[in-house]
Amino acid sequence: MKELKRAVMWMAMVVIVLLTVLSIYGAFIGAERSQAFFNSVPLAVYWIFFALLLIVSLFLFRRLIRVPGLLLIHLGCIAILAGGLWGSGDGHKLRHKLLGREKMPSGMITVYEGLSENRVVDDKIRSAYAIDPNNNVTIYEFDDHGHPILLTDEDPRIFHLPFEIHLKDFRIEYYDPPHLLVGAADGKSWELKPIETDASFQLDGAASLKILNTYKNFKIDMDKGAYDDPHPGSNPAVHISITYPDGTEHKQYVFEMYPGHFGKSKEFTLRYVTQGMVKDFFSDLQVIVDGKVVLEKTIEVNHPLYYGGYHFYQSSYDDKAGRYTVLSVTSDSGLMLVFAGFALMCVGAVYHLWLRPIIAHFKTAKQRTAHGN
Amino acid sequence: MEIKYTLQGLLIYLTMAHYLVAFVLMLLRLRKTAGVVYFFGFVAAVVCYGYRWYHVAHIPMQNLFEVFLTLGLVIYPISLFCKRYLQIGDPATLATDMLIGFIVLFPTGFKFDAEPQRLPPALQSWLFAPHVAVYMLSYIFMAKAAVQAVCRLMGLRKRSTDQLLGAEMATYQMVCVGFPLLTLGLILGSWWGKIAWGDYWGWDPKELWSLASWLFFVGYLHFRHMFGKKHAYINSAWAISGLVAIILTLLWANLSRLFEGMHSYA
Ligand code: HEM
Repeated sequence: MKELKRAVMWMAMVVIVLLTVLSIYGAFIGAERSQAFFNSVPLAVYWIFFALLLIVSLFLFRRLIRVPGLLLIHLGCIAILAGGLWGSGDGHKLRHKLLGREKMPSGMITVYEGLSENRVVDDKIRSAYAIDPNNNVTIYEFDDHGHPILLTDEDPRIFHLPFEIHLKDFRIEYYDPPHLLVGAADGKSWELKPIETDASFQLDGAASLKILNTYKNFKIDMDKGAYDDPHPGSNPAVHISITYPDGTEHKQYVFEMYPGHFGKSKEFTLRYVTQGMVKDFFSDLQVIVDGKVVLEKTIEVNHPLYYGGYHFYQSSYDDKAGRYTVLSVTSDSGLMLVFAGFALMCVGAVYHLWLRPIIAHFKTAKQRTAHGN
Repeated sequence: MEIKYTLQGLLIYLTMAHYLVAFVLMLLRLRKTAGVVYFFGFVAAVVCYGYRWYHVAHIPMQNLFEVFLTLGLVIYPISLFCKRYLQIGDPATLATDMLIGFIVLFPTGFKFDAEPQRLPPALQSWLFAPHVAVYMLSYIFMAKAAVQAVCRLMGLRKRSTDQLLGAEMATYQMVCVGFPLLTLGLILGSWWGKIAWGDYWGWDPKELWSLASWLFFVGYLHFRHMFGKKHAYINSAWAISGLVAIILTLLWANLSRLFEGMHSYA
C-alpha cells in the first residue's frame, strides 16, 4: 500500500511537471497550433490519465477525503478535466456518433441587418459573404490562392442551427462625438465640435470657419450634385467655408475616408473624424423558432445571448458599410462542470491555505488562555 | 531609457527615491528612520496611483505601465501584512521589500509608455479589476517567496541552521498565501474570457504562460509535501522557477513578438 501511494504521488509529480513543460511549449507555437496540439489524440490520453490519477488518489489517500480543502481542490481538478473533455470538439463528435446528438462545438455566424440566419461556419474557414438584391446570402471560402469558392448548404463545415437568429439593428458607439481637427501652418490646432449645419467657429482671429452641411453617406452626381445617400453605405463628409480677415471665402468638402482630397485649403490642414476609437458594438437580436420570435436581446462585447445550448458573442462586424454583424457561437456542453470545478478549486484553496491556518491559530490561542486560567 | 518630465513621472520618481533611501537606511541599520521613509514612500505611491486613476478615468490596471504602478503600490501593505500576521518581517526581509518596490517602479519611470489609453470593448467588464488585482497581489507574495528562497540558497553555509529553516518555512508560508490568489487570478481570467471571447480557455501564449506559472507552484506544493525539508534546496529552486515563470508571463508574453495573441494590449 505504501509503495502504491509513493508510486501514485510520483506519477502526480510527473503529470504536473509534464503539463508545465507542455504549456511552455504551447506558448511558443501560438494559439492556433497549440489548440490543435492540446486537442490531439495523445493529449486526450494524457488528460484522461490525469483525471483517473486524481480519482485513484481520492481512494488511496485518506487525507484527500478527510481534509475538506484538499478534497475540494482535487475534486475541482477532476470536474475541470471532465468538463473540458466533454465540451471538446472530439467530445461533441463522440456523442454524435454514440447518441446521435447533433451539436456543434463552436463556429461563426454572420447575420445581415433585417435578415435571419441559421448557418454557422467552422471558425477555421476563411469565409466571405455576399448578398444579392433579393436578400439571398451566399457563403464563400477563400482557397490558398485567395480565390473565392462557393460553399453549398450541404458542406459538412456548415452547421444548421435548429432555430434562426434575426438581426434587427447593429450599432457602433464611439468614444468621441464627430469633430473637425484643424491645424494651422504655425503649429496651432483646434478641435471643433459639435458638427452641425450653420455652426461657426473662430480660429483665433486668423479666420472663421462655418459648417455648411454634413453628410453620412456622401455621393455626388451630374444631376443632383452632392447629396446624402440614404442607401446602405458610409462616406462621412462635411462641407465647410473658411472666411479670411480680408473677406475672401474658401469652400471645401472634408472627407473622413479621404483626408487631403479636393480643393485643399492652403493655410489649414483639415481632418474630419466621426469614427474615433470604438467604445462598443451592439446587435439587437431575435431568436426565431418556426417563424415565431421566442427571445429578444441586445448583445454587446462582454454581454452574450444564450439560447438552445449555445452562447452568441459579439465578435466582429462589417467595418465598411455596417450592414452585418459577426457572432461567434459556442456550445455550452461541459461548461457548468468546468465552472463548478473552478468554484470548488477556489473555495478549496482559500479554505485550505487561508482559513484553516487562521482557525487553527485561534483554537490554539483559546487553549492557551484556557490553560492560563 | 527615457525620463518622464510630467507630474506623473515626478510622483513615480518621488516614490522610488523614498523606497531607495529606505533601503539604504536599512543597510546602515537605521531601521526606525527607514520604516518612516518607507511609509512616506507608500504615501507618495498612493498619490501617484490616485493621480493616474483620476487622469485616465478608469482603474489603472490596463497596460504594463499601470500594472507595474499597481505593484509599486501594494508592496508596502503586503510588507506590513507579512510582518504583523506571518511574523515574517525581519530587517533583511523588509530591506528586500523596499528594493522590490524600487525595482518594480523602475520600468514605469524609465521604460514603459505612460500615454493614457481608452478601454477597448473587451476590457469593459467588472471582472477586469479583480482579475488583475489578485494577480498583482499574488505576484508580490511569490516574489517575496522567491527572495526567501534565494536567501535559503545563498546562506547555505554562512548562517545558522535555525535561520535557514526559517527562510525555507517563510518561502512556504508566502506561497501558501499567494497560491489561492494565483488560482483566483487564473480562474477569474478564464471566466472573463468566456464572457468576452466566448471561450474559457483559448490556448493563447499568455494563458499558457500563466498556467505554467501556476503549475510551478502546484509542483512546489506537491514536492514539498512528498519530501518535506529533506531536499530544501530543491524546494527553493522550485519557488524561484515559479517567479521566473511569472516574470516571463508578465513581460515576455506581452513584449515579445514571439507570442502574438489576444492579450497583447500593452
Ligand atoms: C494527478 C494529480 C494529483 C494528485 C494525484 C494529487 C495528490 C495529492 C496528494 C496525495 C496530496 C497530499 C494530501 C495530504 O496528505 O496532505 C496533495 C496535496 C495538494 N494538492 Fe494535489 N494532487 C494532484 C493534482 C493537484 C492539482 C492539479 C492541484 C492544483 C490546485 C493540487 C493541489 C494540491 C494542494 C494545494 C495540496 C496541498 C499541499 C500542502 O498542503 O502543502 N493537486 N495532492
